[in-house]
Amino acid sequence: MNVIPIYIEAGISGFESPAAEYKELGLSLDQLLIRHPNATFIGQASGVSMQGVGIFDGDLLIVDRALTARNGDVIVANYNGCFVCKIIDKHQARLLSASKHHKPVTISPDDEFQLEGVVTRSIRLHHPAPELKACMA
Amino acid sequence: MYGLVDATSFYASAEKVFDPSIRNKPVVVLTNNDGCICAVCPIAKKLGIPKFIPYFQIKDLLHKHGVVIRSSNYELYADLSERMMNVISRYGDNQHIYSIDESFLYFDNYQNVITNWYEYGHQIRTAIWQETRLPVGVGFGITATLAKAANHASKKLSGFDGVAVIDTIERAAPILQRMKTSEVWGIGSQIAKKLAMQNIHTALELAKQDPKAIRQQFSVVTERTVKELNGISCLSWDEVKAPKQQIFSTRSFGQRISDHSVLHAALSCHASIVAKKLRQQASQVKKLMVFASSSPHDDYYYKQAIVYPFAIPTDNTSQLAQAVSWVLPQIYQSGVNFYRCGVGAIELASEHFQQRDLFDVDNSNPALMRCFDGINKRYGSGAINIARAGQTEKWAMRRHFLSPQYTTNWRDIPKISC
Repeated sequence: MNVIPIYIEAGISGFESPAAEYKELGLSLDQLLIRHPNATFIGQASGVSMQGVGIFDGDLLIVDRALTARNGDVIVANYNGCFVCKIIDKHQARLLSASKHHKPVTISPDDEFQLEGVVTRSIRLHHPAPELKACMA
Repeated sequence: MYGLVDATSFYASAEKVFDPSIRNKPVVVLTNNDGCICAVCPIAKKLGIPKFIPYFQIKDLLHKHGVVIRSSNYELYADLSERMMNVISRYGDNQHIYSIDESFLYFDNYQNVITNWYEYGHQIRTAIWQETRLPVGVGFGITATLAKAANHASKKLSGFDGVAVIDTIERAAPILQRMKTSEVWGIGSQIAKKLAMQNIHTALELAKQDPKAIRQQFSVVTERTVKELNGISCLSWDEVKAPKQQIFSTRSFGQRISDHSVLHAALSCHASIVAKKLRQQASQVKKLMVFASSSPHDDYYYKQAIVYPFAIPTDNTSQLAQAVSWVLPQIYQSGVNFYRCGVGAIELASEHFQQRDLFDVDNSNPALMRCFDGINKRYGSGAINIARAGQTEKWAMRRHFLSPQYTTNWRDIPKISC
């Protein structure tokens, strides 16, 4: 006689889920959106000059400092003591907007300028996030 | 080879990471309760702003130079420290985080892998600057003490550009002769004073002493320091990593305290902090010191310290808080305006080697503490605490010049103009 060794389940605990073996951790947005966690920070866009590349007022920007900016990248820079989000034009040392209403800005030697990082993702909040309320005000 | 990576005026530099408007300005950071200056950025240093001086004494000088003043933003510093340490860990397989802004690296059998330590140091510096915007100094040495000395040179001595290497003993002398004995790792101000009386002023002069004579005058620890300065490794990597021998949490009050329950709450909070630090380094407390005092400038200076011995060493928050409750009647005196209080674990035991007691039951409940730490890690420090530590804010820290928590609070994330 062949014996199949299966323990009898007491009714209260029920059958083990057939999917139990396949259980994995849920999807993590961090994993998808952040390549270099130590070098990444999250900021919030303020203004309308980058709408042409899909960055709107109040969007979240994920900024990666580990990447080297290539020409035409959307970047964050310290421009005269302010964080700005622009498109970098390396050949002519200019900061470009993605909007007809904003002219390119030429970086002069007198300006304080540091590249802070590359904007790798931007996030639209179609419903307001209460956590960010203070920022949106 | 040992390496030591250490941030340049870490707190002040951390303030500049997410606030570009102060990158090129002089910045100082104040200690708990905005009492003293604890960090001075290089620009402020050039203006002659001293460290460790009470804020109120140089308020006018700071104002005159337009110095930016910040309270200690520990939430921000902890996050930036973790990022910096993670970057450093990529550059060596043996890392020991020595403090919030310093990390040792130990390279065993790397002589054929890393041939140019100077260049390697610059790689580390560049990576940390690029990824975290923190400036660091990097020192390499054939002993841990020499790595510390090289690190000192990399940041403080002229002619170095953020990296210094002592890879042969010949390279040590030029650096050591420019260092005071008090700047040597392990030489405290008392020992330095005694050395000065014997005309030993520089680290090089100390290195030339007979180690045995030093041992007779001071201790075996100082003897080791002398040997280490001569390139003889006495501190093994495990000893460099040795856990702290004592853990204190203490603070002066934002306002004077005369109320019994408020003092009780403050001491319970300190007990909670000590317990957390114990767990972090896998230690347990055998003897706990609880103390409180009025100000030494008061007409009637009152101070009291009581040591509470534990039958079984513990790292359990509620047991430490319980000990505080037991000794408090001996400490509290009505009519005294308490200025300062604290809790210190003055004798520790390792969690791993324990003498069990035959009759006493171990109530330390590590599972509960893991849960406790887990909740605080996930939902922010203080999310869960013992009730006795209370909600009273009166004794909490004064932080008038606090910058936003740019990386740990959604409300505070940096604004970027488009």
